[in-house]
Amino acid sequence: MNRLFVGAMALALGTIPAAAQSLDDLNIQIHGYATQGFLYTTQNNIFTTNSSNGSPAWTEAVINVSAQPTPKLRIGVQARYFLLGNFGNAITLDWAAADYKASDKFGVRFGKVKTPSGLFNEIQDIDPGYIWSLLPQGIYPITSRNSILSHYGGVIYGTLDLQTAGKLEYRGWAGERVLARDDGYFLASEETGTDFPSGYKQIVDGAALHWRTPLHGLMLGASLQHDNQSDNPLTLTIPELGVMSATSRGNASDSPQWFGKFETSKFMLAGEYSRQPLYIVTAIPDVITEIGREDNRSWYGMASYKLTDKLTAGVYHTQFIDKAVNDTLTSGTNRYSKDWVLSGRYDFNEFLYAKAEQHFIDGTGLGYDIDLNPNGLQPDTKLTIFKIGVSF
Amino acid sequence: MKRLLCAFLLGAFAFIFSAHCQAQAIVIANPSVKAADVSKSELRDVFTGAVSSLKDGSHVTPVLLKGGAANDEFLTSYVGKNDTAFRASWRSLVFSGQATMPKSLDSEAAMVDYVAHNAGAIGYITSATPHEGVKVLSVR
Repeated sequence: MNRLFVGAMALALGTIPAAAQSLDDLNIQIHGYATQGFLYTTQNNIFTTNSSNGSPAWTEAVINVSAQPTPKLRIGVQARYFLLGNFGNAITLDWAAADYKASDKFGVRFGKVKTPSGLFNEIQDIDPGYIWSLLPQGIYPITSRNSILSHYGGVIYGTLDLQTAGKLEYRGWAGERVLARDDGYFLASEETGTDFPSGYKQIVDGAALHWRTPLHGLMLGASLQHDNQSDNPLTLTIPELGVMSATSRGNASDSPQWFGKFETSKFMLAGEYSRQPLYIVTAIPDVITEIGREDNRSWYGMASYKLTDKLTAGVYHTQFIDKAVNDTLTSGTNRYSKDWVLSGRYDFNEFLYAKAEQHFIDGTGLGYDIDLNPNGLQPDTKLTIFKIGVSF
Repeated sequence: MKRLLCAFLLGAFAFIFSAHCQAQAIVIANPSVKAADVSKSELRDVFTGAVSSLKDGSHVTPVLLKGGAANDEFLTSYVGKNDTAFRASWRSLVFSGQATMPKSLDSEAAMVDYVAHNAGAIGYITSATPHEGVKVLSVR
């Protein structure tokens, strides 16, 4: 089935560019893109790939169908094939939504919708849309991307004209977020015997503001997502006791993000700070109660410059720290991750592009698993990425 | 020699000037659009999908050319992006479910015909292209 989908995508990408134009009478459009990446690391294997030997196990293909029966109403659906190392290799529903935009001041979107938190969340999986091969992993982890991208529920949005003070874009959302059983977030716990057979479900709500300042190109923003208390079943594999049923209670928490972006026709400068606290109580009745606490804090600063119409170069630095771990451990490279990144993108034409990216990663707090690094992790790794993409 | 140089410079100037004139983009709209003029920032917001109405309340739908001098001139002067970057930003909106890609037309004649017959349509052409049936918006 997956091969069939990829084959159909390849056929579409090869033959449909002209057909990507909207079908006039019905206002129906079909768009898509596909990317193929190659990873090489000097030391640790990353993202569940055999990257230290060079790995091409990074493929994505997306197909999008939308219709706009009236100027104010749009409906659409988007499916994705995603493979990254041992992750994915499946077709999933990105989003499927109806959107009614009453005016520039108010619109509503509902169904399975993108969650508009932070600077990049809505577009973090849209590779043709930016220069980077990997976004800062502390905030936009590719191994857990599909689950935090969207929720089942709705989004309200609009733009308010502040006259001489610029414009204020607002977004509010609510619904249920579902982390799939095989989500990358669970990889470490799964490899040590913890399994969420039904995945992890949580009611979320949040809001975001983007202030487009009077200084042309400068946007400042903030978002806050509230994760409600949740109870999810899980199984624990414990030596001598076997497989035990348990429950996981995630306490309510708030995840704030602050961000800014300055963009001209050639230059882009952006930064973001994010905090994601977690407090989870795992319990096997009358046997054991275990408290897991995380306090993930990340930031990045990035800049890019369009050297020619076709060539763009960029650099960013990002840092991640789990403050809860950091407060209890005084040493160990798993407390943090720091990454210097050099990136380049070349657009051959409107449809075809290539990317190259070099990461200098210090620390092991992000992106690694035990199974593919059986001899332990080295404290730093250089990661080289090549990527080619086509979109229509 | 001097005459030859002068003739060359005059010829080059005439060529550059005529090329510039040919690429001069004007903004056209369906007669249903109430506004007579539009600001640069309004044009940028409309053509990047940030808004779908002008300040006077007129609902507008942007229409694009697939390429050519008018397209390059318009995107560079009013949107601040080249064609590749412009379409990449629209793809981000399309693939995140926030917008539908604007209609792209093959020629300026097709642009004039489409804008003339679709309420709220707003587009651009070179000034030399015949444009009966549409209104020309001056840019503030």
